[in-house]
Amino acid sequence: MSASDLQARPVLTPHARVQKDPVSGDPVLLYPEGVLMLNATAEAILAQVNGIATIEQILAALAAEFEVTPDELQADVFEYLAELEQRRLLTLQPASGA
Amino acid sequence: MKAAAYRPYALLAELTYRCPLHCPYCSNPTQTSPGPELTAEEWDRVIREAAALGVLQMGLSGGEPLARPDLAPIVQSARAAGLYTNLLTSGLGLTAARLAELRAAGLDTLQLSFQSDEPILADEIAGTRSHTLKLAAAKMVRESGLALGLNVVLHRRNIERLPQIIALAEGLGALRLELANVQFYGWAFPNRAALLPTREQALVAREVALAAQARLGGRMDVFYVLPDYYETRPKPCMQGWGRRYITITPTGDVLPCPTAGSLLRDQRENVRTASLAWIWHESESFNRFRGTDWMPDPCRTCPDREKDFGGCRCQAALLTGDPTRTDPVCTLSPDRPLIDRILAETAALALAPAWQYRQNPAAEPVA
Repeated sequence: MSASDLQARPVLTPHARVQKDPVSGDPVLLYPEGVLMLNATAEAILAQVNGIATIEQILAALAAEFEVTPDELQADVFEYLAELEQRRLLTLQPASGA
Repeated sequence: MKAAAYRPYALLAELTYRCPLHCPYCSNPTQTSPGPELTAEEWDRVIREAAALGVLQMGLSGGEPLARPDLAPIVQSARAAGLYTNLLTSGLGLTAARLAELRAAGLDTLQLSFQSDEPILADEIAGTRSHTLKLAAAKMVRESGLALGLNVVLHRRNIERLPQIIALAEGLGALRLELANVQFYGWAFPNRAALLPTREQALVAREVALAAQARLGGRMDVFYVLPDYYETRPKPCMQGWGRRYITITPTGDVLPCPTAGSLLRDQRENVRTASLAWIWHESESFNRFRGTDWMPDPCRTCPDREKDFGGCRCQAALLTGDPTRTDPVCTLSPDRPLIDRILAETAALALAPAWQYRQNPAAEPVA
């Protein structure tokens, strides 16, 4: 599965944790020896990554939230998910039941 | 500069200096402060103070943190405070039950040390039978689903086994491999003649590490720490004094890094007598080398001064006796000949001399 496959289901790896930074109130992603500060786009994407939704479903949800078409978001979302996958913070599973 | 300009992101909690291993490269101090270790209750308070300051990551270390029977409650405190926890351990003392207890307490990841890939050499470096136990610990961690990292200190006696060491980490299913060329602090400093690799060994190892990073990208994160004596510019130690990191020792001393205790001596602050916030923001020990005003020449006017901060204060202190001097690794330092002499002595040695094994601190009251 790759981040350009709409039917892929992104799953955050168990050793990654998204939470709020108590000092700044900004979202952060914590992993072994690492802290990723998340901007608003990253936070919005990760909020849709629940282990069940496919990329297609994630794009639809984000499109509704930001009042754009899924096509307009596609490239950025693919790129971000691929980056997280490269850092081993996320895996791409087949869609449930597929 | 004070206050909001500096924020700690990571806390290294040295829970004890007791350890079943005797690695000659250990960075623990060769002489430790007497007195009782912080209790789990004291750690709970300290952890909450650290979280309030902005700390997000906590390394539970030592010595050997598993030597603390109350390790699980300490992990629990960290979880309750929202910290991401990493257990830095030799693996000796880990059982399936202990691991389950730690996971239930909220442990996020575990970093296992290995001394080599080959059992006889590994046990010789550790000074005790340990390699087989570590393999068993790695298996337990993988089977539990907890994220596993490996840490291997590289030095003259094991650096030529780097390809096999990397293969070991891959075979154990490690997500991250830290290859840490030996740094000369604590026990490692008196053992430097025995531990420093030759220049040729260092160059070969670097190529092996770079190739592995390229090959394993996305599968295993290979983190390579250079042997800085062979560099021409110093490492930006801890990313600057008192900028991102806090270390707390077993008896509660608060330091900018694990080795600064001997540099700070009587200036050391302690959690039993001051709040972490005051220590971080206001204490002389933490403010002493912040910013650039304290720098002598050549650092004072060097264009790299905000990039490498003049290198390592502890290293300057160890090699020159003066913590304010430019890290002698820097070729712009007037003290660079100190490093060159050590490198020349290493090059002239046909065989590494015997090292002195790390000894446990003299028996002291346990909390």
